[in-house]
Amino acid sequence: MKLSNKNVIYLICSLLTMVLILSGCWDNKDINHRLLPVSIGVKKVDDQYLVILNIPVPIDGSMETKIVSAKAETVSKAVDTISRNMESDVDLLHVKLIFIEKETAEDGINDIIAGFMRSRDVSPKALVAICDEDLQEFFNNIKINAEKKGLSTYNYFEKNAGWNPDIALTRVWEVFRGIHSYTHDVAIPLIRSGKDTTMDQIGSAILKRGKMVEQISSNETLLYNVFKGESGNGKMEVMEHATVMLLGSKTDNIGRLVNNDAHMESLIKMRVVILETKGEPSLNLIKEEINTLISERYNKLFTKLQENEADVFGMGQFFRNQIPRDELKNWRSDYFKNMKININVKIDIQNEGYLKTT
Amino acid sequence: MVRSLHVMIMYVLCHLGLIFFMFPADIIASTEQGHWFPILIGIIVHFVCLLTYMKGLSFFPTKDILSIFSKSKKGVTFLFFAPILLYLIMAIIITVRAYAEIVTLVFLSHTPLWTIILLLLSVSAYISYKGIEAILRAAFLLFILFFPILLFVLIMSFQNVDWRYAIPFDTDLGFISKPAYFESYFAFAGGFLFLGFVQPFFSYERKNVILSAIFLIPFFLFSVYIPILTLGQASASKAFLPFVLIVDSINIDWLMFDRVTMFFLLSLIAFIILYLSLSLWKAIRIINYYIPKSRPSYLLFGLSVAIFFVCFWIPDWKDVENILFMNSFLRSYVLIVVPLFIYYIGRRLKRKDTNETI
Amino acid sequence: MEQMVLDIKKALGGNDDFFIKRDYLLENEVLLLGLNTLIDITKTKTIFQKQSEGLISQGKTSETIFILMGELFEDDTKKAITSILEGKLIIYIENTKKFIIYEPVPKGLNRSIEVPSNESVIQGPSNSFTEDIDTNIGLLRKQLTSNKLLVHSFTTGKNQKTKISLLFINGVVDKELVENINSLIEKNKSMDISNLQSLSKMLGFSSWDTISKFNTTELPFHASQFLKTGRVVILVDQLPFALILPNLLWDMFIVESDRNFPFPIMITIRCLRVIGALIALISPGMYVALVAVNPEALQIELALSVAQSREGVPYPALVEVIIMLVVLELILEASIRLPKSVGPTITMVGGIILGQAVVEAKLVSNLLIIILAATTIANSTLVGAQSSLSIRLFKYINVILSSLFGVLGLVVGLVFISSYLASLTTFGKSYLYLNIGRKEQ
Repeated sequence: MKLSNKNVIYLICSLLTMVLILSGCWDNKDINHRLLPVSIGVKKVDDQYLVILNIPVPIDGSMETKIVSAKAETVSKAVDTISRNMESDVDLLHVKLIFIEKETAEDGINDIIAGFMRSRDVSPKALVAICDEDLQEFFNNIKINAEKKGLSTYNYFEKNAGWNPDIALTRVWEVFRGIHSYTHDVAIPLIRSGKDTTMDQIGSAILKRGKMVEQISSNETLLYNVFKGESGNGKMEVMEHATVMLLGSKTDNIGRLVNNDAHMESLIKMRVVILETKGEPSLNLIKEEINTLISERYNKLFTKLQENEADVFGMGQFFRNQIPRDELKNWRSDYFKNMKININVKIDIQNEGYLKTT
Repeated sequence: MVRSLHVMIMYVLCHLGLIFFMFPADIIASTEQGHWFPILIGIIVHFVCLLTYMKGLSFFPTKDILSIFSKSKKGVTFLFFAPILLYLIMAIIITVRAYAEIVTLVFLSHTPLWTIILLLLSVSAYISYKGIEAILRAAFLLFILFFPILLFVLIMSFQNVDWRYAIPFDTDLGFISKPAYFESYFAFAGGFLFLGFVQPFFSYERKNVILSAIFLIPFFLFSVYIPILTLGQASASKAFLPFVLIVDSINIDWLMFDRVTMFFLLSLIAFIILYLSLSLWKAIRIINYYIPKSRPSYLLFGLSVAIFFVCFWIPDWKDVENILFMNSFLRSYVLIVVPLFIYYIGRRLKRKDTNETI
Repeated sequence: MEQMVLDIKKALGGNDDFFIKRDYLLENEVLLLGLNTLIDITKTKTIFQKQSEGLISQGKTSETIFILMGELFEDDTKKAITSILEGKLIIYIENTKKFIIYEPVPKGLNRSIEVPSNESVIQGPSNSFTEDIDTNIGLLRKQLTSNKLLVHSFTTGKNQKTKISLLFINGVVDKELVENINSLIEKNKSMDISNLQSLSKMLGFSSWDTISKFNTTELPFHASQFLKTGRVVILVDQLPFALILPNLLWDMFIVESDRNFPFPIMITIRCLRVIGALIALISPGMYVALVAVNPEALQIELALSVAQSREGVPYPALVEVIIMLVVLELILEASIRLPKSVGPTITMVGGIILGQAVVEAKLVSNLLIIILAATTIANSTLVGAQSSLSIRLFKYINVILSSLFGVLGLVVGLVFISSYLASLTTFGKSYLYLNIGRKEQ
C-alpha cells in the first residue's frame, strides 16, 4: 500500500482545507462570550417554571453577581429565554448549585432532576439545596450579601472552603438515585438567606422518592453525615459538663431479618477531643454524656424517618442479601417502617488538650 | 517478545474502546440482578472462540487467514469471506455512527454530526493506509499516552461506590432471550479477528494473547459493576451510557480540570480510532484479495467515502440500535463459525500431513 | 609544455590562485602545480626539498624516490585536477607523463577544535566537530579506540567534490543497514552534496518527511555512543556535525552525558524531557480547546478568571493563538539570525515589551502569554535541533484541530501525530524502536 508521498501530502492538505472550509462555520463561542451561571434556582408557579440564574460577571477586574430570571413551561425553555435576552450565551455547563423552592420540593422534583440528568449541560455532580423562602427574595439577598464575590454561594458548599459537617452534601445523581432506588433516600440541605452571612443553614429536607416529606435539624444532619461516612471533622458538641470536638467517626451496621422483621445493630465509633469542661467531670462521665446525647438524637431521628418511611441512611442496603429483589421494592413500607434499631455509641477520647482530666 | 507485545496491546486497546460505551447498558438492560453471570458467559464464549481461532491459526504458521485458502477456488472462499467482510464494514459503520453520536452528546453539542464522522473516518483511513506495522506501533504509542489517564479515571470512579449494591448475587438465565444481551457481544466479537490477519507481519505467541484477554476481564466487570454499585440497578437501567454518567459524577477537588469524563472518553476514542483503522485495514485486505488489480489506497478511499455516506444517511439512534441488532447474526458467524472452520481446516491439514509422512 | 599540463592549465588556468612552478627533483625537471590558497607553498617546498635530499643521500634511484614521495600516476588529467581542487600538490615530472600527488602543508583554513556552539554539555566531553572531515574522523577515533570501528570514505559530486565518510562499528551494526547506505551512495555518487536535503535525496528519503531522518550532533562523544549502540555515523566534509542514522524518537529525550549523573537523576531528567515534548505539543491546542469549545472542562474558578482575562479580546481564540505563536516563532528565528551582541535586545523587546504591552492592549489574554512561554520553554528541553523543530511544527496541527473539535480535536491530533511517527521507517528500522542494536524477530 504505497502512494507516492507527494500524493499523500496533497490528500492530507485537501482534506484539511475541506474540513476548514466546510466546518469553520458552526458556533463555537469563546469563553468570554458565554455566561457561566454558578447556581440556578427553580420554582414551580402553577404550570410554569420560574428559573433564576446567579451569574458571576467579570467587570473591570472584579466579579459581580448578576441575577436574572425567566418563566416558561420547562426549565430549558426558561434558560433559553434568558439566553436570548442576555448579551452573551448562557451556558449551564458550570452550574454547581441547584436551589429548589420548598413548595416545589414538596410537590416532587422528579421531572426537574430527570431533566438535569438528561441534559449533559449540568454536571450530575452539581449540588442540590432546598430554599426555605421565596426564591426571588433569596437570590436578591444573596446578591446583596455576596457583592463582589461571585462564587460565595458555591464556596459555601465547597468541601475545602466553607462546608461544615452539619450541611448535607447531596448531588444531582444522588437525588436521581434516591428517586429510583428501592432502598435509598436523600437528605438535602435546607437553606435560607442570612442577615449578615450569605446563607443560613436551617437543617435538611428529607426527600422520599423525590418528594420532600420531612425536615431535620442541623444536629441531625450531622448524624446523617456521620452515618454516611462523610467526615464529621471539627464539629463541636456541647453537653452539660463538657464541650468536645469530633475528630472522626466510623459506623458498623449489621442487619438481620427475624421473622420477616428487620433488625438493625449499629455501632457508632467516635473519636473526640475535649475542649472545655465545667467543674471536674471524670472521663467516664463525659463519655456517658456524649453517649446518651448521640443515642437519643439518633433514636429521635429514626423515629421521625420511620414515620415518613424515608430511608435516608440507606438501611435497606444492609438487607439486600436477605430480602429478595421483588420484595425489596417495598422496603420502605414493609420493612423500614417497623425496623428495630439498636444503637451503640462507642467514644474514644483521643486526647484532653494540655490539661489533664481526672 | 516485542512483537507479541504489540499484538497484545492492540488486542487490549481494541476491546477497551468497545467495552465502556454500549456494553454496560446492554448488560444492565438484559438482567435485573447478578450481572456477573451474563458477563461471565460472555467472557467464556470469548475465550473459547479466541482459543479455537488461535489453535486453528497455529496450524498455519506465518500464514494469514487469506493465504490459508489460497489453494481453494476463489468463488468458494468468497462464501466464507463475504460475511466477514460484511461484518467488518457494518461494524465500522456502527462504531463510527455511534461514537460520533456519543461525542456530540457528551462534549460537542454544537458541532454538526457529519464533521465528527468525517474526522473519525479520515484519521482512521489515514492510519490504515499506513499499513499494519504503523497501526500496531501507533497502538503502542497511544497506549503509553492514554492508558494512564484511563486507569486514573477508572480508579477514581470507585469514589461513590456502595458495595452492597452488588448483592443479590443469584441470577437466572432470563437474559438469554433479551436482544440487548446479544448486542452486548459487540464488545467481545470486535477485536479478535485481526489475529488472523497480522501473521506474516507480526508473529505473536498464543500465551501472550491469552494474557491480554485475561487482563481485560476486570474491565468487562468494572464497566458494568461501577454504575450498578454507584447508582443501583433501578437507576442505572435508566441511563443511556451508564459508565459515562458515573464518570461524570466523579468529584476531584485538586485537579485543575472539572470534568474528567472528557479525558476518559477521549482516551477511549483514541483507541476506537485505532480499532476503526484496523477494521478498515482488514476489510481492504479481503477486498484486495478478490480484486487484486486495484490499488489498495483507492479501495480504501472508496470504502471510506461509502461508509461516510452510509453513516450520514442513518437518521437516528434507534436505527443504529436496529443495525446493531441485525448485525448479531453476522456477529455470531464471526464469533463462532469462523474460528471453528479455521480449526477444522487446520486439523484436516495436519492429519493429511501426518498421513503423508507415514 | 606538454599536453597534460596544458589540459590542466586550460581547466584551472582561469583561477588567479593557480600556480605552476618549475623545480628540480634529482636530475629531473619537475613542474609543481597547485592552488596557493590551499597550499602553504614556502613550507611545502622546504619540506619537499628536505625529503628529497634525505632520500637522495640514501642512494635511492629516482623511480623509487618518486614512489616514496607520494602516489605516482601516469597520464590521468582528471585525477590531477581533482587532486588539485582537493588541495594537493601535483609534482609533474617532465617528459615522462608521470605525476606525483604530493601531500603538501595545507593553509590553516580550519578552525581549531572548540567547544560546541549549538549544543551545551553539562559535565561531559566537550570537544566538538569542525569543518574538516579528517579532523572529525580523528576525533571519533580518539573517542572510540577500537579496531572494529570502520570508516568508508566516498568522494561524491559532479560539479562540487565532497568527501563523505561512513563510520560504523563492525559486529554491532546491522550489516544490511550499512550495505544499503553503501550501495545508495555508490549509486548516486554523481549527486552534489552540500546540505542535508541533498544527502537525503541521495539516500532515497522522501523530501516530505517532517521528521528528519538524521539525528545530528556536534559532539564526538555523543556520536561515539551512538556508534556503540549500532547506529551509523555519516560525516560530510565542511559540515561541522555528525549525522546519525537512523534517527529514533527516543533520541529526542536522551543525551549520553545524562549517564554521568546518578541513575535516578538520569531517569528524572529524561522524564522531564518527555513532559516537555508533551507540553509543547498539547498546551497551545489545549488553550484553544478549553477557551473556545469545551470550557466545561475547566474548574469554575479557572474558567471565570480565563473569561475575565479574555474580556475585550476581539477575535476568536484560534486567531489569538496563531498570532502569538507566529510572533514567537519570529522572535526565535530573529534571535538566531542576529549577531550575538544584538540577540539579547530582541529577547528583551520580544519578551518584556511585547508580552506586557500585548496584554495591556487587550489583544490577547494574559493566560495565553503564560501558555506560550511554557510551550517555548518546554520545546527547548528537547535534544537535537532537528527534533525540536518537528515538534514546533506539529503543535499547529493540534491547534487547528482543537479550534474545530475542542478537546476531541486535540486527542485526534495526538492520534494522528502518533500514527505518523509510527509509520516512519529508515531502511526498515521503525522510528519508534528504542534501540536498533537489539534484533527483533
